[in-house]
Amino acid sequence: MEEQGNEKLSQAYRVGIAVIILLAALTIGEFFIGSIAYNWSWPLWGIALIKAAMIIRDYMHLPRVFASSEEGAE
Amino acid sequence: MTTHADTLSEYRYKTATNRIGLWLFILSDAFVFVGLLVSRFYLFGGQRPELNQFLGLIVTSILLASSFFMNRAESSIVHGRVTAFTRNTLVTLALGVLFLIGVVGVEWQIAPFAPGDNAMASVFYTMTGFHAFHVLSGVIFLAVVYRNGKKGLYSAERHWPVEAAAVYWHFVDVVWVFFYPALYLMGRPVG
Repeated sequence: MEEQGNEKLSQAYRVGIAVIILLAALTIGEFFIGSIAYNWSWPLWGIALIKAAMIIRDYMHLPRVFASSEEGAE
Repeated sequence: MTTHADTLSEYRYKTATNRIGLWLFILSDAFVFVGLLVSRFYLFGGQRPELNQFLGLIVTSILLASSFFMNRAESSIVHGRVTAFTRNTLVTLALGVLFLIGVVGVEWQIAPFAPGDNAMASVFYTMTGFHAFHVLSGVIFLAVVYRNGKKGLYSAERHWPVEAAAVYWHFVDVVWVFFYPALYLMGRPVG
């Protein structure tokens, strides 16, 4: 039971690390786009939407809102 | 007779209801930020204020890192790790304060315009100021949650305030994900 809990926690930590690495890469990417081309708004909007979607899904856990109260406790 | 299982089931039901209320609040608050974004593009479309882009990258990185630690804090309490929860919450709180210092203490001081100079300046200070107030209230919320966590008020089964603080904190981060390119990256710089 304890081992299973540890494994779940490690998995949650791993997801968190993967998300922050992707967020960092996208942020650096948009910084370079913004510093070389002032009229490239659409790629910047695309990157912002991807970043927001990742935070909402993986950090804010939006799917929990639609889960039953028992599932949402996980 | 009320058993522990009954009260836990009741707590989970209440949490599910609270969760819907929190997300409704987040949605309504998001509309205000959307309004500010629309006003930015309506008033100065293809132009942007002349700001230090590198400072923008630094404060954005700080806020993203704070979200990472907040997620770690929440994951820890979900699995009953109180020490890891308090440690990560404290790091999140410190990064939140650092973000405020970066925006209000540095960016506002070095910006080459005052709030009343023109429409662009007004929109810039309104957007960053309104967002900074949200960060400040998030920091206060986190401080309360940290103190309660230290007192042992949260467990793997009962930690709704932590979830609420985390969702609010990430929301403030999501808002900045759009504000950062809108203010620092999109459009021709105008002094």
